[in-house]
Amino acid sequence: MNRYGPFNWILLLLSSLILLFLIAPLLSMFIKTGPGEFFATAADKEVRASIWLTIWVSFASTLLFSVAAVPFAWILARKSFPGKSLVQGIIDLPVVLPHTAAGIALLGFISREGVLGKAASAVGLNLVNNPAGIAIAMAFVSLPFLINAARDGFAAVPERLEKAGLNLGASPSRVFFTISLPLARRSIVTGFVMMFARGMSEFGAVVIIAYHPMIAPVLIYDRFSSFGLTYARPAAVLFILVALVVFTLLRLLSGRRETAIFKEENADA
Amino acid sequence: MLTLKNISKKLGNFNLSDISIAIPAGTYYVLLGRSGSGKTQLLELIAGLSRPDTGEIWLGSENLTSQRIQDRNIGLVFQDYAVFPNMTVFENIAYSISSGRKSRNFVKGKVFNISSELNIAHLLDRDTKHLSGGELQRVALARTLIKSPRLLLLDEPMASIDASLKDDIKRLFRRLNREGLTIIHVTHDYREAVSLASRVGVIHGGRIIQEGTPDEVFRKPVNRFVARYSGIRNFFRVKFMELAGEWKALCNGNLIFSLGGNSFPGEGLLLVRSDDIRISSGIDRPCSENCFRGKVTDILPSEYGMEVSVDTGVTFYVDVSADTFRQNPFSEHSEIWISFPREACIVLHEKKLD
Repeated sequence: MNRYGPFNWILLLLSSLILLFLIAPLLSMFIKTGPGEFFATAADKEVRASIWLTIWVSFASTLLFSVAAVPFAWILARKSFPGKSLVQGIIDLPVVLPHTAAGIALLGFISREGVLGKAASAVGLNLVNNPAGIAIAMAFVSLPFLINAARDGFAAVPERLEKAGLNLGASPSRVFFTISLPLARRSIVTGFVMMFARGMSEFGAVVIIAYHPMIAPVLIYDRFSSFGLTYARPAAVLFILVALVVFTLLRLLSGRRETAIFKEENADA
Repeated sequence: MLTLKNISKKLGNFNLSDISIAIPAGTYYVLLGRSGSGKTQLLELIAGLSRPDTGEIWLGSENLTSQRIQDRNIGLVFQDYAVFPNMTVFENIAYSISSGRKSRNFVKGKVFNISSELNIAHLLDRDTKHLSGGELQRVALARTLIKSPRLLLLDEPMASIDASLKDDIKRLFRRLNREGLTIIHVTHDYREAVSLASRVGVIHGGRIIQEGTPDEVFRKPVNRFVARYSGIRNFFRVKFMELAGEWKALCNGNLIFSLGGNSFPGEGLLLVRSDDIRISSGIDRPCSENCFRGKVTDILPSEYGMEVSVDTGVTFYVDVSADTFRQNPFSEHSEIWISFPREACIVLHEKKLD
């Protein structure tokens, strides 16, 4: 007997189409890239440097900005203040902004005429065409992922636990570091991984701030516009593979912890 | 002495209004009220979890009103215990003393002492996720007591523990109180108040409507609400009048109750506790006053033995012990006598009603 009606078959077909749409271009790119050109690209110093630059700058940017973004997320989860929904809207702004427009806005801010640029050049740092500028551009477009995930994580921590900590004489900062932060850890780690991954894949904002040194997405674009598809493809394949490995590793690292906690929580059930 | 002076606080659609109480040091104070009466909110104000809109909170000569939670040293055991799930039992108990320059041995010693006292020393290495309600409560209590709070606040401490553990916990609270700790215990169960309190406050709709010793509150409830809380189910709307030099209460135009003491004319309620009423299954009238013949309409087992409903024109609820029931058997539809002394009549004049 057929357990599935026509509606379920239609759903299955539509879902398969979407999956195919996501996988097919990547798969064809992998198939079309021969092993010879792939290994030659992997041995290319310029390509390797750009992939490494992309990874470490995105990681550093995520780490650095999380120092302020995570406490900010706690404030959003716990406090009510006038204009809170406006603040929330501002946080989500980078998601809807065209990223090249974000790059233009940032350039005005970090170039030598801009506020931050002036301050940086006072200590001898030129943010344009510099990893520091790249980190700023990556953070600008990827911060919402960390802030929103951390905010949801903090909101899920019962406020009573924080009050209990204060009632036991702990300072607000001790309560934050010993209760709120550990209990919201899973969401924060997820947000961290998402911000890092989004930062790594950023092109539009970064290309305006720093064409050089080249991060991987800029390098792929540069090779495509200068030499064409065949020349850009192996670099793209390599970057995608590296990104997938890094992303999977981070997911596994945070996922293993989540599974452990999940198992503990359900041990009594 | 904890003194609340004219405390008011608006909480959404609900208000705590003009609450003034003075609780002498060493008192076991039970704050009795239904859910939503404002009792937990009052506890949170005392602990500093929220601030009153108006009024002051004093502990001895210290004004706590705008002091921060962490500076008050008032222990609060939450209804759901709020034990930190990311820490072991040891880490939970040591939380308040493990920061700063305390030596590891000092912390270990104190945690061991308090946990032995509360019979949870064997749980110290355990994760809190696997503890029972009773164990969690002791962890929360140990965590609070380890810093020697000036005042212990208990929010519905009996609400989620097994009946078999309740007596142990009550003994523990009594002992802590005997050792000098002032306790404020919030509950909806008048039996906890009767068995533990040296003073009782009844809170309703955000106001303290009666305060006093358990005897004062439960023997002389100021209104129907408090009476109901003290387990009184026999309420009769009556007219008070003087007949031949004695005060009587006339109910339904036919039952006449004889009252002890003086009264004054008017309308009101007459209350009789179920355990003050006697039952006699004989034919002869057992006494001359406050004695009524009626038909048994229901017999239900209760914690005292049996709760018997008797229809005398109005329904009386009578507590009969199992022994009395055996000696004096009757069944549903039996005709019996009920009687009670004048002193058992609790009079509430209308002007005192809420």
